[in-house]
Amino acid sequence: MSLAEPAGRGRRPWSGALAIGATLLGMQVLLAVAGPFLAPYGATEMGAGPPLAGPSLAHPFGIDQLGRDVFSRVLHGGHVVLGLALSGTALGVAIGAVIGLLSGQAGGLADEIVQRGLEIFISVPFLVLALVAMVAVGPVASGHPLTVVGVVALIYAPRVARIARAAAREIALRDFVLVARLRGDGPLRRMWSEILPNARSVLLVEFALRASYAPILVGSLGFLGFGLRPPTPEWGLMIAENRALLLVSPWTVLGPGLALAVLVVGLNLFTDGLARRLGRHVDFGVG
Amino acid sequence: MFLRLIAGRVLQAAVTLVLISLLLFLALEVLPGDVATRVLGREATAEALEALRRTLRLDRPAPERYFLWLSGVLQGDLGTSLVSGRPVADILGPRVANTLFLSAYAFLLYLPLALVPAVVQAIRRGGWLDQALSVATLVLLAIPDFLLATLLLIGFAMTWPLFPSMSIVEPGTDFARMLRLTTLPALTLAIVMAVYALRMLRDQLIEVLQSEHIRAGELRGLPPGRLVWRHALPNALAPALNVTALNLAYLVGGVVVVEKVFSFPGFGTLLLDALQLRDLPVIEATVLMAAAIYIGANLLADLCAIALTPKLRDAR
Repeated sequence: MSLAEPAGRGRRPWSGALAIGATLLGMQVLLAVAGPFLAPYGATEMGAGPPLAGPSLAHPFGIDQLGRDVFSRVLHGGHVVLGLALSGTALGVAIGAVIGLLSGQAGGLADEIVQRGLEIFISVPFLVLALVAMVAVGPVASGHPLTVVGVVALIYAPRVARIARAAAREIALRDFVLVARLRGDGPLRRMWSEILPNARSVLLVEFALRASYAPILVGSLGFLGFGLRPPTPEWGLMIAENRALLLVSPWTVLGPGLALAVLVVGLNLFTDGLARRLGRHVDFGVG
Repeated sequence: MFLRLIAGRVLQAAVTLVLISLLLFLALEVLPGDVATRVLGREATAEALEALRRTLRLDRPAPERYFLWLSGVLQGDLGTSLVSGRPVADILGPRVANTLFLSAYAFLLYLPLALVPAVVQAIRRGGWLDQALSVATLVLLAIPDFLLATLLLIGFAMTWPLFPSMSIVEPGTDFARMLRLTTLPALTLAIVMAVYALRMLRDQLIEVLQSEHIRAGELRGLPPGRLVWRHALPNALAPALNVTALNLAYLVGGVVVVEKVFSFPGFGTLLLDALQLRDLPVIEATVLMAAAIYIGANLLADLCAIALTPKLRDAR
């Protein structure tokens, strides 16, 4: 085979990604909605079986230290993980888009100041920023689901704003924006009716990309003990709780881990497929 | 002109760092609510709260406290831990040394883990090996670092006890023992970084392979391996630098998670402990350091990219 043959790029290794990703995601959403009703035991119900019992037909992921059925807990956790990840991402993308589009459209000194401001947030490694934010809100608010949503948004908004700003800079130079401006439309109106529609595909891919990592972000916070509080069946928190049981009953850790990994594979495939369909390129990771 | 560009970037980085210190101070010490209560919790006695207020100089106005702290930091005085009463610099030093060892090890493992599969994929693109590696990348991309670390722990510390499950470092640990202690954490970090870089590197290499001068080399009959290693790879270096800078950003946060899994006494576990205990001076020093490392790494990558790209180098 010739090295320079262009055919190789056409035959993508991830073809069909959108369909597979959408299917996996659909299953996860279904499980998140129906899970609490399907689960044989309650999320915090103790005495489901002998503590530390390994996997069996009745308890596919085994029983944890407190006698709770891990499989049921995973099912109860689906909507928690999915809900927090998606709402945090949505909030972050919305805030980031408004900041970025306005700043890019304005240009000049205002734009420069906003860019420097965003850089402050982007320059603190994201996990460190998330942890500090969790502590800064104080012991009462820290660990509240809304705080987790806010922290995800805090991480994403400046990064999305940067992308949105680049798109807006380019769109703002086009004729129809100039026309709108001469017509006397204010900056908010121009953003809403001229720039936003043209930045839609950029923002859509950005949303999918950020949503792909959000479950891991929520899980990391839970795992480190700075996310949701026990006994919430959040998967990252469950992995941390059951880590001590690793030798005795590895499925109590692998079960929630599997659920999390399948969710992220689905999101990644979906994002990659969507990006290709819209003719964009994505690099995974938080960046 | 080139020098002016560099000076501009360095100045910008320094300003960002100072602004981060301001933000950090505002978030931790000025936010609404009583700082002392936030640190000690609601059950704290009035005397304990009063003592902490004195230690933190909370009776002074906030701007004065900020400038006192900042001028201390600039002179190398990072303050005193609220918990142990020891100077923060003394606590930080050995932890940072441990993490530097871990990071360097992780980086060493990362390079071949990213480069070799990317080159193989680029040469055999579209083939089954490329497909298989792409699927493996996809799966690894979906496994969070705390889970990957846990899986490696199950595999190589418990099922096959090749490595210790707790990376506890005692004073006077020799180099060989240190390597053994840090292999699993370093491997976790290296895999995560390699997976991020792999896809980008593969696409980049394929793009370069389709360029004119590679085609010319191919027509001259140069073997594919040589073309990739000697000719294509250097051209894919500038973008690779970019992804490596991003990976460094990951690394600074990643060590927090991975050190926690392996109980490694590094920078990350220090930050976690300080956050848990609300030891403000330690939190401030570690976060500022994390940001400084990240900004420094980005700056370095920027400067390398400028030096590698003739158009940028000669600009302005």
